[in-house]
Amino acid sequence: MPSNPSMSAAIVAAAESDKIGYIEEGTTALNLHIEAIRNVCAEAGISPTEIEGVFATNHANMLAEYLGIHPKYIDTTSVGGCSFQMHVHHALAAINAGVIDIAVVSHGEAGFSARKNQGNGTLRGGGGDPWTPAAQFGGGPYGAWGPPSYYAHALTRHMHQWGSTKEDFANIAVVTREWAGLNPRAVMHSKETNKFGGPITVQDVLDSRMIVWPLNLLDICLVTDHGGAVLLASAEKARSFKTPPVWIAGAGENQSHADMLEMDDFTATSAHASSEAAYRMAGMGPGDMEMAMIYDSFTVTAGITAEMLGLTPRGEGPSLWADGNASPGGKFPVNTNGGGLSFSHSGMYGMMLLIEAYRQLSGTAEDGVHGIEGKQTSAQSAVVNGTGGLLSVTGTLVLTSDV
Amino acid sequence: MPSNPSMSAAIVAAAESDQIGYIEEGTTALNLHIEAIRNVCAEAGISPAEIEGIFATNHANMLAEYLGIHPKYIDTTAVGGCSFQMHVHHAMAAINAGIIDIAVVSHGEAGYSARKNQGKGTLRGGGGDPWLPSAQFGGGIYGNWGAPSNYAHALTRHMHQWGSTKEDFANIAVATREWATLNPRAVMHSKDTHPAGGPITVQDVLDSRMIVWPLNLLDICLVTDHGGAVLVASAEKARSFKTSPVWIAGAGENQSHQDMLEMGDFTATSALASGEQAYRMAGMGPGDMEMAMIYDSFTVTAGITAEMLGLTPRGEGPSLWADGNASPGGKFPVNTNGGGLSFSHSGMYGMMLLIEAYRQLSGTAEDGVHGLPGKQTSAQSAIVNGTGGSLSVTGTLVLTADV
Amino acid sequence: MADYNKPIPSPDPYVTQPFWDGAKEGKLMLPRCTSCNRVHWYPRILCPHCHSSSIEWFEASGEGFIHTYAVQNRAFGGWADETPYATAYIDLKEGDRMFTALRGVDAENPESIKIGAKVKIEFDQADEDTYVPYWRVVE
Repeated sequence: MPSNPSMSAAIVAAAESDKIGYIEEGTTALNLHIEAIRNVCAEAGISPTEIEGVFATNHANMLAEYLGIHPKYIDTTSVGGCSFQMHVHHALAAINAGVIDIAVVSHGEAGFSARKNQGNGTLRGGGGDPWTPAAQFGGGPYGAWGPPSYYAHALTRHMHQWGSTKEDFANIAVVTREWAGLNPRAVMHSKETNKFGGPITVQDVLDSRMIVWPLNLLDICLVTDHGGAVLLASAEKARSFKTPPVWIAGAGENQSHADMLEMDDFTATSAHASSEAAYRMAGMGPGDMEMAMIYDSFTVTAGITAEMLGLTPRGEGPSLWADGNASPGGKFPVNTNGGGLSFSHSGMYGMMLLIEAYRQLSGTAEDGVHGIEGKQTSAQSAVVNGTGGLLSVTGTLVLTSDV
Repeated sequence: MPSNPSMSAAIVAAAESDQIGYIEEGTTALNLHIEAIRNVCAEAGISPAEIEGIFATNHANMLAEYLGIHPKYIDTTAVGGCSFQMHVHHAMAAINAGIIDIAVVSHGEAGYSARKNQGKGTLRGGGGDPWLPSAQFGGGIYGNWGAPSNYAHALTRHMHQWGSTKEDFANIAVATREWATLNPRAVMHSKDTHPAGGPITVQDVLDSRMIVWPLNLLDICLVTDHGGAVLVASAEKARSFKTSPVWIAGAGENQSHQDMLEMGDFTATSALASGEQAYRMAGMGPGDMEMAMIYDSFTVTAGITAEMLGLTPRGEGPSLWADGNASPGGKFPVNTNGGGLSFSHSGMYGMMLLIEAYRQLSGTAEDGVHGLPGKQTSAQSAIVNGTGGSLSVTGTLVLTADV
Repeated sequence: MADYNKPIPSPDPYVTQPFWDGAKEGKLMLPRCTSCNRVHWYPRILCPHCHSSSIEWFEASGEGFIHTYAVQNRAFGGWADETPYATAYIDLKEGDRMFTALRGVDAENPESIKIGAKVKIEFDQADEDTYVPYWRVVE
């Protein structure tokens, strides 16, 4: 039962950026943030790396990266000037739940300087803050145009570091397409849903158009339209709906970097940390999981994440999909909707993971519209992992069936 | 002490938009959201009005407005495709804290249609989604260029509905400027900090340039550069810092509308609901408060909010500042930093409210840099309210000094 | 129409087309829920009151009343030439509220504008397909 969170947290320090007001020599929002966080930590007598939760309306991921923080809770709620009161509200809940002990709510906004600097780089940079480190030194100046341009670097490094092959990763796409064959709503379900639909082979992946070496077209997710929603309810109310509950046994989140410039090991993500938090909360481990829903923006995303979640040894992520293990009828079903690779992926795929995990664990995974059988598994527990940014941020959930 | 939130919440339903994938006839992100929420509520057998918490990377405020929901928790965290896993994590903490019982995590993204529709209106509208209701029917079409254009309509209505006057509201700016003269970091502290700084009179406000009738220049906040941060820590750790704790006794948030098109009563905000929530959590009421930090983007914002927080009767908000009551040395100090009107306001002012409330209640409100005495009050409790959007969203905190 | 120098809304082909089609013919078309019979503005794919998806469009009277207003002394783009001008929220005779720039008022004298004053809709042709609604005080 929830208890009143009143007084379960306190504001323990407050500080401003070095200068505030009309800063005639100019500044950026990022610098204002960083100065304020440095100052508030100095006042409280802590290092910024002791911060566990980051709350900011802008630049939140960059702040964590800039300061070397690997936050267990990130909240970028931005709904206007009251956002900061809401951040305190949200931090109170997170602290009350034991998710974090120390959070920073930070603000950096160059209201005056941004006006003054209008056209000063902004236009050259093509909108947004032209002076963020990533804008100056990241991929843009070198023609990187989106996630494929970046993620490809991780696959190259994985093959080098662990001796994996293009074929290993291509097989992830092949297995995922098998699941799409059982989901009539999947874009790549069959030749009827799309002229490129239906089963594929490893060779098909390798023969598909090279987009960013070593990523071929079929290593890369779709770009679709998609709406989805899940309802959550308290334990007290969870059984009062027409639909059955699927329990949130564990949850965790983390960030290793924002821009790939700051990615340390190109073959590892923060899913290691976020899943540890989720497993710990659940009192369960990878061996207790009966299926997985893993973000597959690219085959390399899924492969690396399998390792991070403890589902395979390090360097052997793609082996999770080998020998039909993760396929329909296999021992450990993965991405049973057909994945971002073959089902649907609108840009941010995390919702589709949630919906399919809910359906599998509530026994409603057969397609409600078409009524075709085959994709429902017998799994009673699932690990669900979303990855955002450039392999930057992860959220992991451990879900269990109602018993 | 925090307890493990494992199993304190469940996913109780999941659904998609009517169509997903490549929608050849096209759609918008907003429509995808609305369809998905309608469908998930239908599956669970509830009305959207029963939803208490909204989690979405985009359009969150609009979803609440569109569906007629007044959410007690809004989380717009957007950090890429993993945001949805993090929303579940955050919702679990909020449910575990007893803040909400039912939450929706929603997703709407027209990845395919947005590409197809590129240039079709997008460019005419000048960026953003040109098909949002507010883009088609809101202020932009009629030349509204920002918050002053919108907020002025509330002041007109307040004067009509409650018989208040321009002078009543102008006095808020006058009392706030008095506090600024005690804060050497305030932009409008004195003629030394700004040519227009130093004390002002009601007549000065009325004589200042008319920006949007009935708002004169001095009814309107500054636009500055500002960085700020506060640290929030658990009760267990709160006394382990060099600085002293200020306790979060109560917290609440709410939204009445997003665009003013949907504002029911132009003289009331959701601070009534968020204030009630915060008072209830704290087990305190307006009579227990010894000072207030109230968002003053405009004099009308502060005046109306005073009523909503129960600090004055309805229609009499500006009376809180009358007869020196809220001035330095007065019985009920308000906006002791000099406010967004005279201290500093970078666009989103909520952080400045937090910092000043912390300093007042921790006895550190004299300016650390300049060391001038005068603005520190004896208050041991404070009500802190932020307002965002077009009088749309509010967050309220009840803070208390450490004893 | 060629000289319409103000922002032009982009009619949404999925939800709001009936409104813009009506505007072309000088008619105010409003959405009404057939389940609870209430009018809502802005147009939606489900009723904000009862969440039904059965929405019909009907031709409204085009009459309303000023709910509140302001006078814009500062503006940008094409609107900069019009300052000062009044903007207002209009309580529709059939229910709910629209936003507009007011006509038939003396914006130089803000106090002369009356909350509750009766207004009627009119449409300006902004481009080939788009007619922007305005409201004029008629008493």
